[in-house]
Amino acid sequence: PLSPASALPIPRSFLLKSLEQVRKIQAEGTELLEALVSECTTYKLCHPEELALLGHSLGIPHAPLSSCTSQGLQPEGCLSQLHSGLVLYQSLLQALAGISAEVSPALDMLQLDVTNFAITIWQQMEDLGVAPEVKPIQGTMPAFTSAFQRRAGGVLVISNLQNFLELAYRVLRYLTK
Amino acid sequence: KCGQINISAPVVRLGDPVTASCTISQNCSHLDPEPQILWRLGKEQEQPGQRQQRLPDGTWKSTITLPYLNHTHTFLSCCVQWGNHPQILDQAELQAGYPPAVPSNLSCFMNLTTNSLTCQWEPGPNTYLPTTFILKSFKSRGNCQTQEDSVFDCVPEKRHSYCSIPRKQLLLYQNMVIWVRAENALGVRESPQLCLDPVDVVKLEPPTLWALEPSPQAAPPQPHCLCFGWEPWKPSIYMDQECELRHRPQQEGASWAQVAPLPSSIHQYELCGLLPATVYALQMRCIRSPLPGYWSSWSPSLELRTTE
Repeated sequence: PLSPASALPIPRSFLLKSLEQVRKIQAEGTELLEALVSECTTYKLCHPEELALLGHSLGIPHAPLSSCTSQGLQPEGCLSQLHSGLVLYQSLLQALAGISAEVSPALDMLQLDVTNFAITIWQQMEDLGVAPEVKPIQGTMPAFTSAFQRRAGGVLVISNLQNFLELAYRVLRYLTK
Repeated sequence: KCGQINISAPVVRLGDPVTASCTISQNCSHLDPEPQILWRLGKEQEQPGQRQQRLPDGTWKSTITLPYLNHTHTFLSCCVQWGNHPQILDQAELQAGYPPAVPSNLSCFMNLTTNSLTCQWEPGPNTYLPTTFILKSFKSRGNCQTQEDSVFDCVPEKRHSYCSIPRKQLLLYQNMVIWVRAENALGVRESPQLCLDPVDVVKLEPPTLWALEPSPQAAPPQPHCLCFGWEPWKPSIYMDQECELRHRPQQEGASWAQVAPLPSSIHQYELCGLLPATVYALQMRCIRSPLPGYWSSWSPSLELRTTE
């Protein structure tokens, strides 16, 4: 079980909206992943586990959520990591632009929703007075230089995003209780 | 150019006066030394101006004031009598109408299929003038006192009193400021501003109901009960919702009985306390809950019959 939250007065409406945004993005991510993986027969991109090495070589970063785990929940740090993670995935999804004509609309929608969720979190941090002075600056993004790298990168990025959202959902649900 | 019209304003309020002058240059050949300048409004009979004078430079100038213009669109011609026929030397287009009214009853709903926010409004009475309406919006937050982004203009199709703001211009889960601007040659009016989160005005479609096939594992249906399956509208599946069920027997004058709330997470339901051997119509509707939203309309009826 997650340890008790500190005294950060997080509004319930914010938590309910955030949970809904997570579910919306997860649903879109699942559909997009299915579309990418459904090209399996053509491109043999079925299992993200087969792309781990490629992920390292491309330098696809992961978003840490250490302040959101059960060992030591720090809501303020957790909100900040959620925001930074969403900004990271927003940039990664942008780097995947042009992945394929079929999934581009879904990719655009996913990126818009991730962007909006990041704004929801940031504005709540501002309202709580815990937002850092300067927004986190995005590090360099991997360059997907071939159609294969964009497809494989797409599978990896979206799989990572789903895992990130799963953790986010758990902590938001905990904070709602 | 022989004749030149100057008018006080090409567009006036319906019923307001219009003043015009027509100047005939002296090098307009073939004219009488003292030409009589006439005015023709639309198809009406020509009439002289209230005043005609010869200017120091030899040009002739006639001035006319139409006390009230009650044509919404007409032409004012400057003519001179020449031979048997009046000759038109210049013509001015005149329009009359009203400034736009303040657009009213602005309301919006979010369409989850197109992911756009559609807003509609009442344009107000006919202005008789070309009038443009623009739906304007910007991203904000909290109680909409700050502007977080540039204003987006949604230009509706001709004569439409609604416009759809595309997803890219929307900030979901934060408040946006939305209003309508009406403009024509006689003025500009703006509607009161709405402050809303697009997701809070989602218009849900009704859920889908279906009969459950009797299965060997399941207990046989009770005589006074009906079982059915249902699921919320698919594009809204990620939203927590509250749903209502209503039912009535297919009998003359029967009224609806309502069952609420059905949590949106359980997708099978057994409805009991019914008349045996009777056909019932079942309908459901849902609303986003506990977060704000609009009720969907009632679903089409699912007709099921209770056993003997």
